[in-house]
Amino acid sequence: MAPTSEQQADILERLKNGVIEYDEEVVVKAANEALELQMDAYQAVMDGLAAGMDVVGVYFASGEYFVPEVLMCADALYGGLHILRPHIKLDPDKMVKGSVVIGTVEGDIHDIGKNLVKMMFEVAGFTVHDLGRDVPLDNFVDKYMETDADIICMSAMMTTTMIGMPVVIEKVRAKNPHARIMIGGAPINEDIAQKWGADGTGKDAPNALQEALNMIGVLRDLGDQFKAERTQKEWGADGILQPA
Amino acid sequence: MPNNSRETVLNVLRGQKGDHVPNFSGMGSITLGGIQDLGYRFNEIHGDARKMANSAASTHRLFGFESAIVPFDMGVVAESLGAGMKYYDKADLGQIIYPTMTRKLVDRSTVTVPDGASEADAKTFVMKEIERQITEYELKMPADIASTGRIPVVLEAIRILKRELGDEVAVGSWTLGPFTELGQVMDLEVLLKMSAKKPEAVNRHLKFMVEYLDKVLNLHIDSGADFVTVREMGATSSIMSPRMFKSLVLPNLQELFGRLKRVPTVLHICGDTNPIIELMAQTGASALSVDQMNRLNETRAKLSNVVLLGNYKPFGAPFCDGTPEEVEAIIKQSLDQGADGVWPGCDIWPQVPPENMQAMIAAMKKHGSNSH
Ligand code: B12
Repeated sequence: MAPTSEQQADILERLKNGVIEYDEEVVVKAANEALELQMDAYQAVMDGLAAGMDVVGVYFASGEYFVPEVLMCADALYGGLHILRPHIKLDPDKMVKGSVVIGTVEGDIHDIGKNLVKMMFEVAGFTVHDLGRDVPLDNFVDKYMETDADIICMSAMMTTTMIGMPVVIEKVRAKNPHARIMIGGAPINEDIAQKWGADGTGKDAPNALQEALNMIGVLRDLGDQFKAERTQKEWGADGILQPA
Repeated sequence: MPNNSRETVLNVLRGQKGDHVPNFSGMGSITLGGIQDLGYRFNEIHGDARKMANSAASTHRLFGFESAIVPFDMGVVAESLGAGMKYYDKADLGQIIYPTMTRKLVDRSTVTVPDGASEADAKTFVMKEIERQITEYELKMPADIASTGRIPVVLEAIRILKRELGDEVAVGSWTLGPFTELGQVMDLEVLLKMSAKKPEAVNRHLKFMVEYLDKVLNLHIDSGADFVTVREMGATSSIMSPRMFKSLVLPNLQELFGRLKRVPTVLHICGDTNPIIELMAQTGASALSVDQMNRLNETRAKLSNVVLLGNYKPFGAPFCDGTPEEVEAIIKQSLDQGADGVWPGCDIWPQVPPENMQAMIAAMKKHGSNSH
């Protein structure tokens, strides 16, 4: 039974609004209906859930939503993602396949911002290895080597803990000069990122969620490159996430 | 420095004029040079009353800073309620790593995921389980607060400071506010979500925190604190909406400040405070403290009768790495915008060079006499 275009539009709308209005029930119901109607799960995620999260990002940047609202939106989103993700048919033209190692650097326990950034990566379909907060610097390097991740993301909220970042950058580059590294947090700016040889950053709080979204836009574009470089590593041929 | 420094500080906190705008803080204000002169490492001054007191006094002794403040880290109260702490004992000599919580009373570590759960299921399970645990948790008042954890260290440090410095210099102490303190003992993200979905469950714990902080701060006062600061940065508008601040945080701050009437009190919130500054003025605190994100001139215009403390940025540029002229400029800006006391937006970052501390003091001498 193929869904009519009205049905599709209706479901996408409910997925999107369910995320924006942090109504997990609405999202779960719409996600299940999408499966019943054999809608394309990838489209439901991207044009429904992720589209909703884009709006949430705008609300956050404009001060309409604050951290609690964004976290609740994320819960609603995950509710739908858990249902839909196993049914995504691998479409090499569309998938962003990638994995990220993320954490807040040693000596720093500020992790609210880091967690928001992490969430954005998950929405975009990345496999995220979250090291948590107050992460010993070598753990970034070790996890990167262990998982062969595509990107390393470091967060720091203090001018003193951020100096751990160039240490990690140097160690990682020694192992792989082409590693992609992003750094962020309130004390980080473009200049610092450039000086330390990071590949990118997201702007200061509180506008940074939007930056994180833009960042993911960039990463989506990088998708082609990922595809060229790797085979179906994380995503098996059936579109189901393979255990590492 | 005029010899009536302590009186000036306390007068200003009570809303009276002093002969100069005082240059002080209610939050950590130690310098690395100051503690190294004493032969201490940063990580050993948090658990020893003598070292804590000497460190706190060093900023006055070296630079003429007009207050001496303890403690320095945000774990004292959480630790006394049973949370785990880490002191970074192996940190290098010149390194500043603040003690942090390693384990909360309720967080991911208190949840056991059932065997065989998929990653997605596990995640949902953990969230729901933390929420359930928070809803059911009974925070317990220590039987003898004054001898629990590092609270006796802080109390003894206050007594030492009072004894050795208390005639000349205002001795102060601080705790976090009810909401921020709750975030130190229970998973903060789940708390933030519950604050929107189940505010009553969160409020139950906030009321406990008011009771507890009232007792702790009164012990500080009994030990000799001339004024106390309550730091509620977890409720900044960088994190929660003014609406949530008003319904959940404000009533508890009002209750707390209502009970602390023996000495002047300060409410400090950092990050964005522009949308909530008028609500902050309703808490009953004697004075309000904000950081560099507050548009102090607008705040001054809105609140002509409130004692405002702020708002130079005490870390990064230019305070810690700029020229003395740049430091003078940020101090003068706080003065020009109407601060009643010039005071940092957070803990003074200990690695500030001594020249910049001197530049700050000099700037205050130059611009802060009460002729303007
Ligand atoms: C809430 C808070 C706390 C909470 C943290 C709770 C938690 N679990 O995170 C508590 C109360 C525990 C806390 C403790 C401390 N804090 Co604090 N805290 C803050 C506060 C008020 C808000 C931070 C926040 O969450 N903002 C909201 C989030 C959404 O924004 P964000 O973190 O910037 O993240 C965004 C971007 O930066 C970006 N981003 C973040 N990470 C990454 C990563 C990548 C790769 C990218 C691309 C982007 C990116 O995207 C995010 C989403 O928008 C700030 C004030 C401020 N002005 O920021 C101080 C602040 C960060 N704290 C400060 C200090 C000093 C401390 C303490 C050391 C105090 C003490 N005496 O112990 C301790 C830290 C102890 C330690 N060892 O870490 C100072 C830091 C000063 C400095 N030297 O740089 C600040 C700036 C306060 C101030 N005004 O001076 N703090």
